[in-house]
Amino acid sequence: MGFRIKVYLICLFVTLTGFCTATSEDIVIKNAERTIDLTSQLVKITHRLTLSNTGKSAVKSFNFPIDPKAQEKLSFFKAQLADGKESSGELKAESSTVKGILTYKITLSSALEPGQTVKVLVGTVFTHHLSPHPAEITQKEKQLVQYRGNAYIYTPYKVTTQTTKVLLSSSTVESYTKVKPSSQSDSTITYGPYENIAPLSEESITIHFENNTPFLSVGHLLRHIEVSHWGNIAVEETLDVYHGGAKLKGSFSRFEYQREQSGVSSVKSFKTVLPELAADVYYRDEIGNISTSNLRQEDDGDVSLELRPRFPLFGGWKTHYVVGYNLPSFANLFNSGDEFVLQMDLISHIFDHMVVDDALVRIILPEGASNIEVETPYAVTRLPDSLHFTYLDVKGRPVVEIAAKNLVENHIQPFKLRYTFSRIVMLQEPFLCVLAFFLLFLTFIIYARLDFSITKDETCDNRSRAAVMAEHIRNHYLKRSKLFQAFETQVAKLKSSRDINAFQAAAKNITSDLRAQTLDLPSNFKSEYPQLNDRVTELQKQDKAYRDFQSNHAQLVERLVSGKINKAQFADAEALLTKKRDELVEKLNHLINTL
Amino acid sequence: MSRYVSPVNPAVYPHLSVLLLMIGTFFTAWFFVYEVTSTKITRDLSKELFIAFVASLFMGFGLLFLMLWVGIYV
Repeated sequence: MGFRIKVYLICLFVTLTGFCTATSEDIVIKNAERTIDLTSQLVKITHRLTLSNTGKSAVKSFNFPIDPKAQEKLSFFKAQLADGKESSGELKAESSTVKGILTYKITLSSALEPGQTVKVLVGTVFTHHLSPHPAEITQKEKQLVQYRGNAYIYTPYKVTTQTTKVLLSSSTVESYTKVKPSSQSDSTITYGPYENIAPLSEESITIHFENNTPFLSVGHLLRHIEVSHWGNIAVEETLDVYHGGAKLKGSFSRFEYQREQSGVSSVKSFKTVLPELAADVYYRDEIGNISTSNLRQEDDGDVSLELRPRFPLFGGWKTHYVVGYNLPSFANLFNSGDEFVLQMDLISHIFDHMVVDDALVRIILPEGASNIEVETPYAVTRLPDSLHFTYLDVKGRPVVEIAAKNLVENHIQPFKLRYTFSRIVMLQEPFLCVLAFFLLFLTFIIYARLDFSITKDETCDNRSRAAVMAEHIRNHYLKRSKLFQAFETQVAKLKSSRDINAFQAAAKNITSDLRAQTLDLPSNFKSEYPQLNDRVTELQKQDKAYRDFQSNHAQLVERLVSGKINKAQFADAEALLTKKRDELVEKLNHLINTL
Repeated sequence: MSRYVSPVNPAVYPHLSVLLLMIGTFFTAWFFVYEVTSTKITRDLSKELFIAFVASLFMGFGLLFLMLWVGIYV
């Protein structure tokens, strides 16, 4: 009767899945070795299958259904060829749900000819599959968990020989279902070998054992990846971590926790492995920096961050924190011209044997990035793109949002994000700063021109206008005195060199310069600045006197050089002239300075 | 595809920001000194605008590199 129902079930399954019935019946699993790894909070099941084609036609693919009782908890699936020791050659696996049964269709790399065999390795990882039993324990108690599974491999094919090995985290086993032949030795339970098991056979087993490994899960992970073309990739992860093991019953005694071996299933600290080039690491929460963390560079180059939450985590307890770090752009960003590719792990390591229930990855690209294409290593949900506003943004930075559920360490795989970005756009940020400063200065320029006085102060205005005019006149005469000095230098030079031609040429130049220099005064200068006018008249007089002196002096020296007068006569005449010059200089300087 | 590096080596951000901000501060000081010492009659708009432009250019770039130096990767 039972056998007939099973056969009926197979027929139903095979017809519903729509796969060729002939192929299904042609395949026989000659040998199956299954390892159920329960050493952590995860359930990692590895199947080593030897498939044989007993039919008449070649087989290209085979089906691998997941036990319907556990399919909700399936996190990761991978199939590959197992060639002897070396395991390589990942096989394509397509999942589909038919009548509530999640089935993977695994395509073989080459068709399996009749009579031939192939060895395939199928790995699955389940999360939240171990249930704490009892569900609540006190601080002193140890954590016991239950695993419920199937003694046989859940497969639509007939299995000739199969063995299952269950690896436990400890040798303390409360109980386990015995299905002959089965045995326990230390922390390993072996089921089988079983011969000729019909397809989709089920024999429930329950293993109740001690498991004090950290049952830490990340309830929600928010991962920000912010790309800056100024040479940085900033990563920030906001995590909600909870202990998913047996809940703490009764009160927590810090004293007992410190004094004796208690709270063995609680989590005191854990290690996060960061990328090799991670720098500027921070670990904080809502209160601020959490000082209990250690950063170490491992021998393999990775940076390991030992995090210790503010309190030990017992079953049912939660913690919330933020970890962030910077990576240099050359670590993960590639380009050729304006085409950029960001290659990074979609999620990163948080702690060993981690479980991430819900992850949201937000990749913030520089402002102006376009033609965004994402290539993910596994199926994820891409949410609609949004905009992010931060420093020096005008129209916002494009954000690519990716959501994923139920992730484990095997999901730490790189994604590829392609985008186009014109590098000239980078200049927008500095020029935004420049513009801001310029506007500030402009405000001052305008402010300085505004007059808030109630009355108009005429005298003050006049005084300042006169001061400006005086400055103008002073500058004019200071320039002239420089030319006068140049002329005197030439005269002195003539005295020593006795080169009249050269002197005359230089003197002509200076004289023309002096002549070209005219003092521009407004037409109403005389009436507007009567005081200044007097001074200017006096200055002009002195100026003329000085020029007269200079021409006289030049003539005297010329005569000396040409030998028309002797040295004694020259000395007398020059002494007289010098005395006159000193007086003039003093007068001129006084006039200029007191304008 | 080659690895992408910043057009300006991040190692020189501190030096660049200090240098540019120093020059910028000099021009800013000049600008404000000019603003408060010049009178309605002596004020020269083109000179003011020129000093303001040079000052803002240096201050703007200096500020950007200061932000990059302190970790605000814009």
